Amino acid sequence: MNRILICFLFLSIGLYGLSNQILDTLYINQGFFQTFNGSTISYKSFNSASDFDKTNAVLTYSSIDTVSLTLINNDVISHQFRSASLGVSSVVIAPGSQANISIHAEQAGTYIYYDGQDYPNNKNLGLAGMIVFKNSNAASFYWNLKELDTLWVNELSNGITPSAIYNPKFFLINGNHNPNINLDPLARVVGNVGDTILIHISNTGNASHSLHFHGYHLKLLQSSEHPYQEGRIKDTFPIHPMQTLTLQMVPHQPGEYPVHDHNLVAVTGANLYPNGMFLTMLITP
Amino acid sequence: MKTFFVFVFFVATSLSAMAQEVVNHLLIARNLGEKVMHDGLSLRTFGFAQTLNEQPPIPGPTLYANEGDSVVLDLFNVSQGAPHTIHLHGLDVNQENDGVPHLSFEVHHMDHGFYYFVAPHPGTYFYHCHVVSSIHVQAGMYGVFIVKPSDGSNTTWDGGYSYDQDRLFTMSEMDPIWHEDSVLEHPHDTTVEVHDISIPAYNPTYFLVNGKSEQQLLEPEIALQTSKEAVSFLRMANIGYLANRITFPSELNATIVSTDGRPIMPAEVSDTLWVLPGERYGVLIEPLVDLMDSISISYVNMNTHLSENIQYIPVNVSGTNSLVELNQDLGFKLYPNPSDGAVFIVAPEGIPYTGLKVLNSLGQVVYSELEIKQSNQSQILNLDLNQGSYSIEVLYENQTIDVLKWIKK
Repeated sequence: MNRILICFLFLSIGLYGLSNQILDTLYINQGFFQTFNGSTISYKSFNSASDFDKTNAVLTYSSIDTVSLTLINNDVISHQFRSASLGVSSVVIAPGSQANISIHAEQAGTYIYYDGQDYPNNKNLGLAGMIVFKNSNAASFYWNLKELDTLWVNELSNGITPSAIYNPKFFLINGNHNPNINLDPLARVVGNVGDTILIHISNTGNASHSLHFHGYHLKLLQSSEHPYQEGRIKDTFPIHPMQTLTLQMVPHQPGEYPVHDHNLVAVTGANLYPNGMFLTMLITP
Repeated sequence: MKTFFVFVFFVATSLSAMAQEVVNHLLIARNLGEKVMHDGLSLRTFGFAQTLNEQPPIPGPTLYANEGDSVVLDLFNVSQGAPHTIHLHGLDVNQENDGVPHLSFEVHHMDHGFYYFVAPHPGTYFYHCHVVSSIHVQAGMYGVFIVKPSDGSNTTWDGGYSYDQDRLFTMSEMDPIWHEDSVLEHPHDTTVEVHDISIPAYNPTYFLVNGKSEQQLLEPEIALQTSKEAVSFLRMANIGYLANRITFPSELNATIVSTDGRPIMPAEVSDTLWVLPGERYGVLIEPLVDLMDSISISYVNMNTHLSENIQYIPVNVSGTNSLVELNQDLGFKLYPNPSDGAVFIVAPEGIPYTGLKVLNSLGQVVYSELEIKQSNQSQILNLDLNQGSYSIEVLYENQTIDVLKWIKK
């Protein structure tokens, strides 16, 4: 029995030695979201710096990493870091305070983190992003889908729970609309024919989306909602709220090809076409 | 031996020629179409026709090719106003032929535009205009492109499942506001990529299957008729802006075998199928029992996740009870259909009847009225029945003279 225990101890130490210990910091910031048509609304984000940025940080780690994440609350209300799919939740973080949480993924994939405090109200004020644990060196791109119903966000900012039916007018990827999505290097897919390209997608909004790819079929590597569908080859990928997908593309032809929500109302923004969820991929020979 | 090689070469060459035919299709873009809805309202539409003297149908004509065929698609734009294109949705054509205006080419008034591609994997694909796509697709500029296996056979793909009949159901919606001239005649500046074209709020009031809704779904070209021995391959395609939750009667033994032109391995056995905008699914059904029921299609708002409407595709599984055989087409009518409970039976001029029987989907009589006195008048039935599909038998002296299909909402 003693030999078994010793073996187990050495094995544990060996496995522990394979994992990376990562220190990271995430700030909870309050600021203002400027819509392209001139509106300014109060908004909150998880950012990698203490300055407000409307785009929630994309946290990327290796699948062998164990992350010690320090959370600093710069806001005037309490928040909580939570990832239901990773099974972690911080303590409630008071205004001006900080907390620490350890995160490790049992398997590589795309996950969502969000504010668990006063859920889903704080989440709907902007506080939700993507965390990716990778086991591949393939080129990766990251799309955090969200919509914006400015009436809802304004009411939530004033402590009012929205009663109106959800009616978003802005459809965003990483906080941007078309044509600015193409200016975001995290989102704009670029590569060469024959490359293996991974696209990590999270939907932290409240609407469902149906992303159609021109030019290529892609392989569904990971689906948080429907794991049994993994392996399917498709050109259009539905994603429901608070779900994630990981897609693999190996382009067979060069060109510039759009990707957009095929709910064609969601390719508009503030009722203007095509200012919504639309970007292009650029594949060179 | 040399003779043998020459023979093999000629056989191979001729087989290759058979497998790679050139398929030509013509689509004529029109923007002064008119579509009469199930309630009689007429909407202005855009669409694709195949002759100059027809209204553009919605959906547009279904186009076919076999895997490996070289396809030449001629878009002839006779409409005035904004140009049009053809996007070959899911066919993975190259950028030049992809139909996205600023990345490919536009086809202007009285011009022809030609699209070239080799038909890829067997499956169900869309074609649609990609100019101000939110408006032009809603206006009606869409259709389905079906790629069959290289031999054109009734199989899902080479070496795939065999089937007896192939049925296409294309779901979409229409919002009458979007069909007003003020929306359809939008500005279009070909020199910019982002147009800032104003789009109204989307509140559809017509929920369509193959361009039809409500009582129109009872028409033979929509209703699904099959028998216990038959395998039907259903192509379910959503080109609307709402999600579709499709429920098949369990007796149909629905198996989802393909999506977006690719096989699903392993196939998924399920009575429920979600088809979101832009998706296509292939579903095999092989019923084992006689059945009179319906496939329900719920139209679900993508923002609220609330169902805005349900449409029903009638299903008849029987060697002897099919709609065609039962309905002697004496001209009895019923309306409204579907309805909440009250339904009018209208007899044709000069055709008397003496009784009515209402049967549920299991063939059980749930209501009967057998002493109508030589009536040739309209009659109202107000029945407190469960939601579902019913058949109403019209009787004359205990003989069934007509059968009407009724869907109770």
